[in-house]
Amino acid sequence: MNKNIHVFIVDDNRLLREGLVSMLAEQEDLVVVGAAANGRLALEKIIELRPEVALIDIGMPGKDGIEVTQALHKEAPEVKVIILGMIDLTDEIMACIEAGAAGYVLKEASFTYLVETIRSADRGESFCSPRMAASLFSRIAELAVERMPKLSKSSVRLTAREVDIINLIAEGLANKEIAQRLFIETQTVKNHIHNILDKLQLHNRLEAVEFARQRNLLKKQP
Amino acid sequence: MLSEVIKSMVEHQPDMEVVGEVLDPIELLIAVREIMVDVVLIAPMKDTGEPRICRQLLTENPMLKIMTFSAEGKAAFLYQSDSPTMRIDEPSEHSILTTIRKSMQHIVDDSLRTV
Repeated sequence: MNKNIHVFIVDDNRLLREGLVSMLAEQEDLVVVGAAANGRLALEKIIELRPEVALIDIGMPGKDGIEVTQALHKEAPEVKVIILGMIDLTDEIMACIEAGAAGYVLKEASFTYLVETIRSADRGESFCSPRMAASLFSRIAELAVERMPKLSKSSVRLTAREVDIINLIAEGLANKEIAQRLFIETQTVKNHIHNILDKLQLHNRLEAVEFARQRNLLKKQP
Repeated sequence: MLSEVIKSMVEHQPDMEVVGEVLDPIELLIAVREIMVDVVLIAPMKDTGEPRICRQLLTENPMLKIMTFSAEGKAAFLYQSDSPTMRIDEPSEHSILTTIRKSMQHIVDDSLRTV
C-alpha cells in the first residue's frame, strides 16, 4: 500500500485555502496536516510538522512565498515546496526555482493538475506545464547566450584572410581600400568583417582590432 | 482552481445543485435563458466593479442572485435587482453559503440551482 503524502497549505485567500483543504482531503493518498494564512505562521508550523509537500501562495503580505521557500530550503530541506502563482512570468518561476521550490502551479490551473504536481513533488520529480517548460528553456537559452562570448572567444579560430583584414583595419584602411589591397570586392570585405564580428561576438571593427592586438595577431608595422 | 473550489463547495451542499458551468459571458447569457437558475456564481473577476454581465442578467431575470469573486479572493459581491450590492470581505465557505441562503429565503422551493 502506498504511503500517504502529508500536505500543508499556505494561502491568504481564505476561500481557496479552505476549499483546497476540503478537496485535497478527499484524495486517498493525501493528508492535509495544516493550513496557514501567512508566511510567518506557515514557516513555524511547517518546520514543526515536516509535511512531505507544502503548497505556498507566492503573494502573501509580510513574508511572501519565495521568502518562505528560501527559509524552508534551509531549515527543512526535505519538505517539497510547490508555489501557487498568479502569472507565469519566467523571472518569477526562476526565482521560485532558485529559492528551492520543487514546482510552480498557476492558480488558474486545474485541481487535477495540482494533485499530480503534489504527487510528482513527493516522488522527487518536477512537474511543469509545457508552457512553463518553454519559459524555462527560453531562460536557459538566454543564460547560455550570456555565457557564450566568454567561452567562444578563447576557442575561436580566425582564417588567415580574416587576420589579414583585421590587420588592414588596424592600419586605418576603409573597406574599399582593403578591397583594392586584397584584389577582392568591397562586399566581400564587408562579409569577412561581418563574419569576424559574429565569430568573436563583437560589435565593431575597433573591438576586432583590440581583440587581435591582445592575441598578438597584428603584424608589426614596417 | 478557485472556480473548482467554489463548484465543489456548492456540490457538497444538500440544498444546492450545480446545473451548469460556462466559460464566457455569452455562454452564461444563453445558459441562464435556457436553464432554470436561482444563483449565478462568477469567479474570479479581475476587478471589483460590477461586471456588465450582471446588469444584463438581472434585467432579463430580476429574481436572479449573482455572486462574483475578486481574483485575489479578498472579496465576494452579491448582486440582486431588489437590493443593494452586498460585499463580503475575506469570504469563507461559511459566509458565502450563508449569504446565498439568506438571499433565497423568500423562495418557497428549498432547492437552489446554481450555474
